[in-house]
Amino acid sequence: MTPLRIALAQIAPQLGLLDENLATHHGLIERARDEGAGLVVFPELGLTGYQLQDLAGEVAMRLDDPRLARLAGAARGLSAVVSFVEESGDHRLFIAAALIEDGEIRHVHRKVHPPTYGLFDERRFFAAGDALRAVPSRLGVGVGLAVCEDFWHLPVPQLLALDGAQILINVSSSPGRDLAATHEVGLGTASSWWTLMRAYAQLTTSFVVFCNRVGVDESISFWGGSEVVSPTGETLFQAPLYDEGLFTVDVNLGDVRRERIALPLLRDERPELQLRELARIVAERAGLSQPARDSTAEPGAEPGLDVAPEDAPSPPIGFRAAR
Amino acid sequence: MWPPRTRQARRSASGQPADGRAAVPAVSATPAAPLGADGEPLFELPAELAIDTDVARRVIGEFMRGQLRQSGFERVVLGLSGGIDSGLVAYLVAEAVGTEHLLCVLLPYRTSSPASQADAEEVVRRLGCTSELRDISPMVDGFFGPDGGDASAMRRGNFAARQRMAVLYDRSVTWGGLVVGTGNKTESLIGYTTIFGDSACAFNPIGDLYKSQVRQLAAAIGVPETIIRKAPSADLWPGQTDEAEAGIRYPELDRLLYWRIDKRRSPDDLAGMGFDPAVVERVDRLVAGAEFKRQVPPIAKLGPRTAGVDYLYPRRRPGSTRG
Repeated sequence: MTPLRIALAQIAPQLGLLDENLATHHGLIERARDEGAGLVVFPELGLTGYQLQDLAGEVAMRLDDPRLARLAGAARGLSAVVSFVEESGDHRLFIAAALIEDGEIRHVHRKVHPPTYGLFDERRFFAAGDALRAVPSRLGVGVGLAVCEDFWHLPVPQLLALDGAQILINVSSSPGRDLAATHEVGLGTASSWWTLMRAYAQLTTSFVVFCNRVGVDESISFWGGSEVVSPTGETLFQAPLYDEGLFTVDVNLGDVRRERIALPLLRDERPELQLRELARIVAERAGLSQPARDSTAEPGAEPGLDVAPEDAPSPPIGFRAAR
Repeated sequence: MWPPRTRQARRSASGQPADGRAAVPAVSATPAAPLGADGEPLFELPAELAIDTDVARRVIGEFMRGQLRQSGFERVVLGLSGGIDSGLVAYLVAEAVGTEHLLCVLLPYRTSSPASQADAEEVVRRLGCTSELRDISPMVDGFFGPDGGDASAMRRGNFAARQRMAVLYDRSVTWGGLVVGTGNKTESLIGYTTIFGDSACAFNPIGDLYKSQVRQLAAAIGVPETIIRKAPSADLWPGQTDEAEAGIRYPELDRLLYWRIDKRRSPDDLAGMGFDPAVVERVDRLVAGAEFKRQVPPIAKLGPRTAGVDYLYPRRRPGSTRG
């Protein structure tokens, strides 16, 4: 299989300035093609900036927006992943990442886990996506898209790999925080993310491409550190922290086949086992299982929580505690 | 390719991870405190507060450049007292946007320590930035009378801080620069600030750094040793020091605040670490009592959309740049 050159567009989008960011994307898609890249990846909300708040509705685009069509048209002879605010037909706003190839929007992933805790407030402004799909691409391999927080939930990379992805692409606007001197590179966020990427690549025996933005929105600085990890879990390339740039890295897609035969983790996954157990857990958490059926629960445990509390709280109305 | 630095994880004096829940040393070590010219540590640096100063300088630099660019300014105005906070910020601004864009205003009152002014002048001399001296005595004495009338030290101190703010905001117009804040996290949390006085600013680069971390960053960036070593003081009367007024030393106060606030530990947890429960309770009260100083004043909600409630826009957004 031919080598693939991946370009990571580690950019600093300008908050709310759609036209300026579109121009940056057009310029970098062209540059990536000139540099021989077959795939160029832009960060989460690269077309709009991250900390939008009430601007979200003002920069939203429907998928039939001519600006997206022009961007897709610019991606000739290569694949690109771009991210923006998508407005659905029923006027929900999503944080979306799109795979565009040869004039077409090949696939749109809507962020399934918009975080709303700590410094994040995404669900206030955005709806959560409901689908995870790996899709074929002109690269000859399956592609799975995810956005930032999606990768802080274990099932996401696994489901994408089981659905046929050989390249998992995560686009992010990750705010850097925790500068404790004890961390690998003096930034706790970077250590956490890189650890996850290596683990996902190895466990799914897939390439993982992580593109994180740089620059500042309001109080928040984004740390970059985009990377490409091989199916063996080896970091092939790591972009610098905080520097803007278009970084290219060559990978051999044949590594996926070799690693999956040598280390058949994906072959040995047990989705039917997961399905059974998840069905049980979902029912128990909802208080819908027959008491006798939850054979592992202690008497008095809340639904879905097998351990009984020392001072048992009253169960929520409509719920029956297992006896 | 950028080779990621790797670093041996530092351990605290007790040999336990610095972030371990049950493994916090009662007396913290100072493994990373830099040494002065005499070979002695410049200050006491609690292990858990040590930060990567290279990363901090990079983040702060990007933050300040972003704040200025997004508001259409290139220049900065700074009130320089001769203390470590404003001294550090002067160095950070010079590093981020260039010395030529910085105006330092020295704003002594007639009882201010001559040593403070000499220290401020030394910073100006070393940086080579533009500076001016504005004696605020006529402004303060014009209001209270030359003998201070019957006003308490607190009233006079707060009034002086607000006169300094008024001068800085006037010079913001004539110099064409944004007023940079110099308050640190410790004093902001315990409320050792004057609302609409020293806390007033367009942006604050060090407001998320505890005093111990301010000292660490000041040493790294080259703030003169005399400034790092001297006892912090609001300089409202001769011999006044922060630590005498607060009745607690900064290293202990910083550690207490770090575990209580950043690491969400309970008063019982802190007692278990060796903190005096009475001190913890007193600091808790100070923090709660200063909440109003850290927040934008609430607006009575009457209309359909209210600033800060359900009208939520980034401070810096399309159209916010001055014309």
